[in-house]
Amino acid sequence: MNELIQQIVDGLGRGGIYALIALGIAVIFGVMHLVNFAHGELITVSAYSAYGLFQAGWNWWFIVPAVILIAGMTSVVIEFLAFRWVRGAPDFTMLMTSFGIHFVVQALFVMYVSANFRQFPRPDWIFNTVKIAGISFEVFDIAVIFFTLLTLIGTFWILQKTMFGISLRAAAEDFDAARLMGVRSDRIIRGAFALSGVLAGVAAVFWLMRSGQAGPTAGLTPMLKGVLAALIGGLGSLGGAVLGGVALGLVEVMLISRLPEGLVGLTDGIVFLLIAFLFVFRPQGFISVRRAERV
Amino acid sequence: MSKEYFHSRLFTLVGPILIFAVLVCGGLLYASFGGSARDGLITQMLINAIIVLGIQIYVGNTGVLSFGHIGFGAIAGYAFAICAISPTRKNSQIPDAPFGLSGIDLTPFQSVLVSILLTVIVAFIIGLGLARSGARSGSVAATVITLALLFVVHEVAKNWIDLTRGGKTGLSFSPLGNATLQGRGWIYIALLFAIIIARLFKETRLGRLAQAAREDDLAARAVGIDPAVQQMISLLLSVTLVSIGASLRVFELGSINPRLFFFKFTLLTLTMLIVGGRNSVTGAVVGVVIITAGSEFTRYLAGPSVDVAALDWILRSGLTDIFLGASMLGFMIFKPAGLLGDWELDKWLKKFLPEKTNAEAVKDRVENNQERSHQSLNVEGVVVDFGGFRALDRAEIRAGTDEVVGLIGPNGAGKTTLLNVITGVVDCSEGYLKINGKSIEGLQPHMIARAGLVRTFQNLRLFHLLSVRENIEVARLASPDANNRLETVAIEELLHITGLDELRNRRAGELDYGNARRLELARAAAANPVFLLLDEPTSGMSDHESEAMIHQVRSVASLIGAGVVVIDHDLNFITGICDRVYVLDQGRLISTGSPEEISLDEKVRAAYLGSS
Repeated sequence: MNELIQQIVDGLGRGGIYALIALGIAVIFGVMHLVNFAHGELITVSAYSAYGLFQAGWNWWFIVPAVILIAGMTSVVIEFLAFRWVRGAPDFTMLMTSFGIHFVVQALFVMYVSANFRQFPRPDWIFNTVKIAGISFEVFDIAVIFFTLLTLIGTFWILQKTMFGISLRAAAEDFDAARLMGVRSDRIIRGAFALSGVLAGVAAVFWLMRSGQAGPTAGLTPMLKGVLAALIGGLGSLGGAVLGGVALGLVEVMLISRLPEGLVGLTDGIVFLLIAFLFVFRPQGFISVRRAERV
Repeated sequence: MSKEYFHSRLFTLVGPILIFAVLVCGGLLYASFGGSARDGLITQMLINAIIVLGIQIYVGNTGVLSFGHIGFGAIAGYAFAICAISPTRKNSQIPDAPFGLSGIDLTPFQSVLVSILLTVIVAFIIGLGLARSGARSGSVAATVITLALLFVVHEVAKNWIDLTRGGKTGLSFSPLGNATLQGRGWIYIALLFAIIIARLFKETRLGRLAQAAREDDLAARAVGIDPAVQQMISLLLSVTLVSIGASLRVFELGSINPRLFFFKFTLLTLTMLIVGGRNSVTGAVVGVVIITAGSEFTRYLAGPSVDVAALDWILRSGLTDIFLGASMLGFMIFKPAGLLGDWELDKWLKKFLPEKTNAEAVKDRVENNQERSHQSLNVEGVVVDFGGFRALDRAEIRAGTDEVVGLIGPNGAGKTTLLNVITGVVDCSEGYLKINGKSIEGLQPHMIARAGLVRTFQNLRLFHLLSVRENIEVARLASPDANNRLETVAIEELLHITGLDELRNRRAGELDYGNARRLELARAAAANPVFLLLDEPTSGMSDHESEAMIHQVRSVASLIGAGVVVIDHDLNFITGICDRVYVLDQGRLISTGSPEEISLDEKVRAAYLGSS
């Protein structure tokens, strides 16, 4: 029983990070109908920023807000340089564009920064454990869960209460109608990218605290997990993305703790396989956003 | 198969053969001026061309973006290596291989066959999954499934050390792990085969139906195409070529490791395909040449420090990757169709041949062919709820093949919904749908089309990239009793009736509104239905045009011997064309009768004028 609770907390810690990434992907999908496979590059950029700032002698307390800010700005810049040109393009073009960005950013890092992973110090408290009611938890997991919740509450507050959030949800529901009602598409799309970037930044902070390294492919795994989580939840559904992330985290932890020793290396492969099966039977994800197509 | 048909197919071969000749001669010429490094480069280019052509068959014809083809390549590559490496070498590298695989000893040719067989089996299973997920052009779920395949294969290759020797060292043919392929004979044969297969497939019935579904999934179903079948066959054929290419790649390099068929090679091959034009076989080859040349140039720019001896040049990082990524990105932003779009060399050459007229064929039009016995459509008691809103409430309509039946009503009356129910796009909770007493309830849209009900779309769903004539041809090919002779005759006649004669080679996407509507009509008719269901055929037309439409619809219907059900708002058109009219209001049938009777009906007037 205790072990199960531990695993659940562990899974929620993992899943929280996925949820933040997935939410960012879902926000963009909502306004642009784009599955952003370049979302991971925000985490790569964050990783290198964190590394650079460490070299410059900063400590974690200043690095955290800086990284979040940088991720948000990078997201807007990528939109400005690439995605704005393919707005409204066929799905194939947009998918391919996001992959193109993914490859270019990765190659730029390999060329001009470093092809190898660079280490930087992790905060020393992350492996500490606390005992609550006789069960020991990792402080880090609890911190992730706490801050993820905080971020999610903040995000949903923005989406529900601010004018920007309302316009964004309107645009996500029906982009053309929202435009006709006076929602300014440029601003909404830019805002969505900024929001998505900030979410990626927060996720990156947690991801980096745990991994403690920066490399050109640092964003690949988190991006894939995020995309999968967003798809599990049902693309375009913001709540679904969060649930998808949490579910993915839980499944992973359960798999890792239950798989026989020799197969643990295949965890990601098995997760992929499970998800591929899910899409075979429910291509629209768990929460399907009905996009009634007029015929 | 008629002689003309055969000749036109034969001419299609001119393109592939010319492309092959230019590619090989150019490659040899380039290689003859340089050392063995150039030789290796050209060999790799030719092999990559085979793989890219394989990917083109699937991605080009179906429009589904696949990241999994290199995953299939990895399966094929390992299967080939495990079969073809000599037992002694295997015993030193993978002594514990399962199923006694370390003992088998096959020739390279046999090994390729095994690798094709294995890969095709895996592809069949993946294909079933893709079909189940409703794959269509640009669908994300399908792309993610293929991406999952790439990753899963990679993980397995890295972790199943008994079989693959893991990620670090990989398997190799000789102790040095260098080139083992003597001469390029097999590569030439495989390349020519690949170009011809890819080019011919594009022109086959299956290929063209797949392209139609790529352009518009729903419209394709509406004329009787089941996209899943075309996608599966494209996938299997495509994977066959990829397997051949991957086996050659492994043989040429003399070794295999998981990185060889992973993200970078996927990036390389997809960029090649996209730069040249994914819908064109000529384009795929052009893309291979341009990207190979470009990569080679960036390698030259990167300077001599790069290890020239490493044959696997593409796995070198840096500038080449930026070049590839930037090419992909640049083309997606500025020229998403690629350099050539769907241009083909042989099609272009054909323009210089004297054009054969089909006048004779048209003249001896098969008059009695379309004599059909009377058939009937019965739709009764249809109920449809959208959430709490009852869109249709016991709606009904009956039609025979000898009449034109109108369906009218104010906006929101449920006319299009009824049509959607009849064609299987929307499910109804209650009701009978019968054609000649045979139930068509619950059938998929393409089955309903084959049962004889073909529709047009209110909001125009043509196959944009296909020409006017091809739009009609595809519908004819999709029809269950397609036959080549009738094809030519009926298509010419349809073009003539709808006045699209001179626009036949124009892309459907370029047509103006009126012509697009007439093409919708012609396309639906070409599927040879028992009943033509027309959804607002005159919407957006001038009075003059819609008057002409009366005659056009009647001629088309009598040509194919079909009954007509037509929805429209233009009362002149309805009165002019219909024998009988059904009036819907708020999902209910409020009146029925001849156009004259309807126009006198109080209830109808009330519904239209809004007084109740």
